[in-house]
Amino acid sequence: MTHDDATADGAPDQRRHPDATTAMVTALVRLRGALQEAQLPLELPGADEQRAARTEMVDQLEDYVIPRLMTLEAPLLAVVGGSTGAGKSTLVNSLVGTRVTAPGVLRPTTRSPVLVHHPDDARWFGQDRLLPELERVDRQTNDPAALQLVPSPVMAPGLAVLDAPDIDSVEEQNRVLAAQLLAAADLWLFVTSAARYADQVPWDFLRKAADRSAAVAIVLDRTPPEAVDTITTHLARMLASRGLKDSPLFVVEEGQVSDMGLLPASSVMEIRQWLRALADDQEARQSVVQQTLDGAIRTLARRTHSVADAATEQVDAVRRLREDANEAYDRAVTAIGEASADGTLLRGEVLARWQEFVGTGELLRSLETRVGWIRDRVVNAVKGKPQQAERVTVAVESGLETLILEHAEAAAERAEASWRSTAAGQILLRDAGEDLGRASRDFRRRAERAVRDWQSDVLEMVRTEGAEKRSTARFLAFGVNGLSVALMVVVFAHTAGVTGAEAGIAGGSAILGQKLLEAVFGDQAVRSLAERARLRLEASIRDLLDAERRRYTDLLDTLEVSPETPERMRAAARKVDDLRFASARRASEAVAAPVQEPPRVSGREGDAP
Amino acid sequence: MTSLLEGAKKLVTRSSDTGARVEGLERAAEAARGRVDDAVVDDAAAVAARASSRLKLSAEHTVVALGGATGSGKSSTFNALSGLELAAVGVRRPTTSWATAVVWGKQGAEELLEWLGIPARHQVTRDSMLSKADEDVEMRGVVLLDLPDHDSTEVSHHLEVERLVQLADMMVWVLDPQKYADAAIHDRFLKPLAGHKDVMLVVLNHIDTVPEDRRAGMVDDVRRLLEADGLGGVPVLPVSARHGWGIQELRSMIAKRVAEKKVTRSRLEADVRSAAHRLEAATGTGKVPTLSKERIAALDDAFADAAGVPTVVKAVADSTRMRANRATGWPVTAWFSRLKPDPLKRLHLDLGAVGKELTGTARTSVPQATGVQRARVDTEVRSLADQVGEGMAPAWASAVRAASVSRLPDLGDRLDRAVAATDLGATKIPAWAGLVRVLQYVLVLAAIVGAGWLALLALGSYARLPEPPTPEVGSFPLPTLLLLGGIGLGLLLALVCRWLVAMTARSRARAADKRLRDAISAVSAELVVQPIEAELASYAAVREGLAAALR
Repeated sequence: MTHDDATADGAPDQRRHPDATTAMVTALVRLRGALQEAQLPLELPGADEQRAARTEMVDQLEDYVIPRLMTLEAPLLAVVGGSTGAGKSTLVNSLVGTRVTAPGVLRPTTRSPVLVHHPDDARWFGQDRLLPELERVDRQTNDPAALQLVPSPVMAPGLAVLDAPDIDSVEEQNRVLAAQLLAAADLWLFVTSAARYADQVPWDFLRKAADRSAAVAIVLDRTPPEAVDTITTHLARMLASRGLKDSPLFVVEEGQVSDMGLLPASSVMEIRQWLRALADDQEARQSVVQQTLDGAIRTLARRTHSVADAATEQVDAVRRLREDANEAYDRAVTAIGEASADGTLLRGEVLARWQEFVGTGELLRSLETRVGWIRDRVVNAVKGKPQQAERVTVAVESGLETLILEHAEAAAERAEASWRSTAAGQILLRDAGEDLGRASRDFRRRAERAVRDWQSDVLEMVRTEGAEKRSTARFLAFGVNGLSVALMVVVFAHTAGVTGAEAGIAGGSAILGQKLLEAVFGDQAVRSLAERARLRLEASIRDLLDAERRRYTDLLDTLEVSPETPERMRAAARKVDDLRFASARRASEAVAAPVQEPPRVSGREGDAP
Repeated sequence: MTSLLEGAKKLVTRSSDTGARVEGLERAAEAARGRVDDAVVDDAAAVAARASSRLKLSAEHTVVALGGATGSGKSSTFNALSGLELAAVGVRRPTTSWATAVVWGKQGAEELLEWLGIPARHQVTRDSMLSKADEDVEMRGVVLLDLPDHDSTEVSHHLEVERLVQLADMMVWVLDPQKYADAAIHDRFLKPLAGHKDVMLVVLNHIDTVPEDRRAGMVDDVRRLLEADGLGGVPVLPVSARHGWGIQELRSMIAKRVAEKKVTRSRLEADVRSAAHRLEAATGTGKVPTLSKERIAALDDAFADAAGVPTVVKAVADSTRMRANRATGWPVTAWFSRLKPDPLKRLHLDLGAVGKELTGTARTSVPQATGVQRARVDTEVRSLADQVGEGMAPAWASAVRAASVSRLPDLGDRLDRAVAATDLGATKIPAWAGLVRVLQYVLVLAAIVGAGWLALLALGSYARLPEPPTPEVGSFPLPTLLLLGGIGLGLLLALVCRWLVAMTARSRARAADKRLRDAISAVSAELVVQPIEAELASYAAVREGLAAALR
C-alpha cells in the first residue's frame, strides 16, 4: 500500500494520525511476539483454555488485526458463518446470483472457504493480506487450507463476502477454520435456521462477537412461512438479552430452490440491498470496520492479561517443580554426607577389615616405641597385610556404594512422588520416556566408578604427600595402600559425631588411623589431607547426584518457560491500551471541535509535550 | 423389615448372570478404591449401583428413550408412536423442557417411573385410555420417554438428557437432515456409547424435506458417520413423523426388541462392560504376583543386619565361652576372668528374670543401624516391592510401594524389641559344665589336701617327729599323688573343657542366631510382607471382580 492510496480511499481518523497507526501496529506486533513466546506447556488447571485462547489471539492478530490496521481502506469483508445445514452456501450463491460454492444435503458441505469480491478489489485479497496462511486458488477445492477467490461483477466494490465452513459439525477442522475466519471478519453475516436458532454452539459464537463488539447481522434462514412471526419474536428477544439488540435481523423463508441451487431473488433482496447500501456508503463501511477492529483490539488487550496470568502460573509451577526435584536430591547429598562422615560407615564390615588390618594393639605400641618396623615387615610377610589393605578398600567401596545407591533411589522416588502430586508433573513424568522414579539404569556403574576414582585419588594424594617420606620406616611398613586406607578411615570419622559405646570402636579406629598417619606425615599434613579427601568425596557424590537431578531439571528446561514472558505480555497489552485511549481521546476531541485541519494539528502539537 | 426385603431382592439379583457381573464390578470398585484414580472408581461404583437398582425394578418393562437435537422432531415422533398428542410440538426452540413418559401396561411400572424421576403429571398410561387393542398389545411393557433436547442454550435440558440416557434401557436417537452431522450429538452421546450398539436405534426424521433421489444417499451418510463413531450396524430408519412415514416400522422394531426381554440386560451389561474396561485400563491386566522366597530371605538378612544380629550372636558366643570357661576352667586362674565384663551384659541383653520384670522388655544397647545397613534394608524393601509391582499398572505399583514402606518408621523400635524379647539361651551354663565345676573343686580340694598333707609331713620331718606311714597308690605316695594329680588333672580338664566350651559356644551362637532371625523374620513379615500382601489381596479381588464383570 502506498501513502497515496490511503489518502485517496479514506480512513479519515488514521490519515490524520499515521504515527498513531504505526505505533499501534508496532505495539500489536510486539504483543503477538510476546503471546507467541508464551507456550504454556504445562498441564495446569485451565491451561488448556488459555492455550486455545492464545492460539486464537495470535491467529487473529496475524490474520486480521495487523493486516487490517495496515490497510484500513481495503474492502469490507463479510464472513457468512453458521451451523451446518443452515443454508450458508445457498445464501451466498443467491446473493451473488450464480453458483460459486457448492451446497448439498450431505453434512457438512463446505469444507474450503470461498471469497467473492468485485474484480477491482482483487489486489486487496492477495496472499500477503488477510489470512496469510490460506493458499489462494481460483477453482473449487475441498482443501481446507485453500481460499478460493471468485471475482464477480455482481458484488459492489468495497465489499467482499466469504463463505465459511460450519461451526458445529463433526468435522473438527471445519469448526477450527470457521472460528478463525469469523475472527478475521469485519462483519459477521451469521446464518441460522428455524430448527437451529436456539442451539448452544452458535450462541457461544454470538456471545464472543458481542463481547468484542464485532458488527453482526443475523440471517434466519429456512423459516417456514407460518412460523416467521413466532420465531422472529423469540429470536429478537434472545438477541436482545445477549447484548446483540442492534444487530439487523433478516428472515429468509424456506422456499423452493432453483435448479442452479439459488433461492428466489425476492427472498434475498433485503439482504442484498442492505449489503449494497453498506458498500456504497463509505462512512458507514468505515465505521463498521473501525468498530469491529477496535473491538478486536480491545478484546485482545483484555484477554492478554488472563493469558499472562496463566503464564505466571506456569512460571511458578516450573519453579515449584524444580524446587521439589532440587530438594529431593539435596536431601540425598546431605544424607550421604552425614552417613559417610559420622563414623557409622566404620562399623560392620569396614571395621572388621580395618581391625584385621591394623592387628591388635601391637601397631599402636610399635608406633610409640618406634622400633617395630622390622617386626612389622615380618608380620606383613606372614599375614599378607597388603591384601588386608585391599580388603578394607573393598569394604569401604561396597559400603559407600550401598549408601549412594540407596539415597539416589530414595531421592528419585521422593522427586517423583512430589511431581506426581500435581497434574502437570504427572504429564511431564509420563512423557519423560524413562521411569524417573528410579535411579537411572547405569547409576550403579557410575557410582562404582566414582567411588573407585575417589579411592585412587586418595591413593594419589598419599603418594604425592609421601614422596619425600618414602624412606621412613612407617611409610615403608604400611605402604601407600595401607596409608590411604588409614586416610579413608580418618575421613569417615571426620565429624567425630560418634556417641556412646560407638566412640570406643569407630573413634578408636579413627584415632588409630590418625596416629598412624601423623607418625608418617605430621599432624598438619594429615589434617589437610583428610580435608582434601573429604572435599573430593563430597564433590564426586554431588556430581553423581547432579547428573541424576538433571534428568528432572532438563525436562523443565526443555519447556522453555521464561519468567519474563508474562511481564512482557502485560507490558505489550498496556501499551496497546494506552494507544487505544490516546486515539479515543483524540477522536472525542475531534468530535467536540470538528473544525478544520489546522487547529486540530496545532492542538495535537500542543498535546505532544 | 427393610433389610429382609433388601436381602430378598439381592437374592433375586444374584441369581441372574447380569447380577453376577454387576456384583463383580461392585467388588472390583470397592477393592480398587484408594489405589487408582478416584474418578474411575467412582464411575465404576456408580455404574454398578445404577445397574443393581435397575435390576431390582420391574423386568417386565423396558425404558425406551427418544433423544435428539432441538427441532429434530422428537416430540412429533413420540406423539406418532404413542398415537396421542401428548408432547407439545412447536416451532419455538427449545420446545420440550422436561421428559414425558407414556407407559403401555402400567402394572408394576410405578417404582420404575419413580426411579427414573418422572413425576406423575408427566406420565400417561396407554392402557387406561380407550384405544385400539392391536397396537397396545404390541407395545406392552414399553415405557417411552420423550427427552428434552441436548443442544439448545438451556443447559438444564442437557443435564436432564444426560441423566436419563444413563437410565434408559434402550435409546432411539432422532436425527434430522439439518443436524445429523452435529458435533454436539456425535461427540457427546454417540461416541461415548459405542459399546451400546445393541440397544440403540437411529431415526432420520423429516425425510420428507429431502428430495426423493437424495434420501438413500443421506441415510448412507448417516451410516458412515455412525461407523466413524464406532456404532456400525445400528439400524438407521428414515421416517417422517409429520406424514407418518416409517412410524409403523419403527414401532414394530421397538416392539420386537422389547418382546425379546433382553434389552434391559444387554444395556446393563454394556454399561458394566464399559465401566469394567475403564477400571481395567486403570488397574492393569497383569496376573496377581506372588512374593518370592529368595527376596523375603534377602529382606530378612538385611533386617537382621540392621538389628545387629551378628553383634549379638558374637556376644552370645563370647559370653557363653566366658561363663563356661569360668565354670570349667581351673578355679585358681578362672577367678581372674571375673574381672572382665560380660559382653551380653554390656549390650543390656542379659538382665536376668528380675531385670525383665522391672523394665518389661528393656531397650537393648545393640548399636543402632548404620546408614549402610539402613540403606540395605531400604534397597531390599524396594526390590521386593519392585518384583511385586512388575506387570501392574503404575497406580497399583506405587500403591504396593507405599504399602511396603508404610510401617518402616517403626523399624528401629520393633527390631530392638524383637532382639530384646528373644531368649538367647546363654544365661545358664550347660549342665555338664556344672558337673565339671564340682569336679574341678574336688580336684582343687584334693590338691589342697595333698599339699596340706605334704606340708604336715614336711613340718613333721622338720620337727624330727617320727614319720607316719604314708599310704601309697601303686608306688606313689598318696599326698603327692593328690597334689600333682589334683593340679595336673585340673589343668588337663580345663584344657579339654576349653575345647568343649568352644563347641558349646558355637552351637549356642548358632541357636541364638536362628532364634533371633526367626524373631526378626516375624518383624519383617509384619512390617513389610503383610502390607504388601494386603495390597496383593485387593489387587486379586479387583482382578477377580473384573473377570466376573467381563465374563
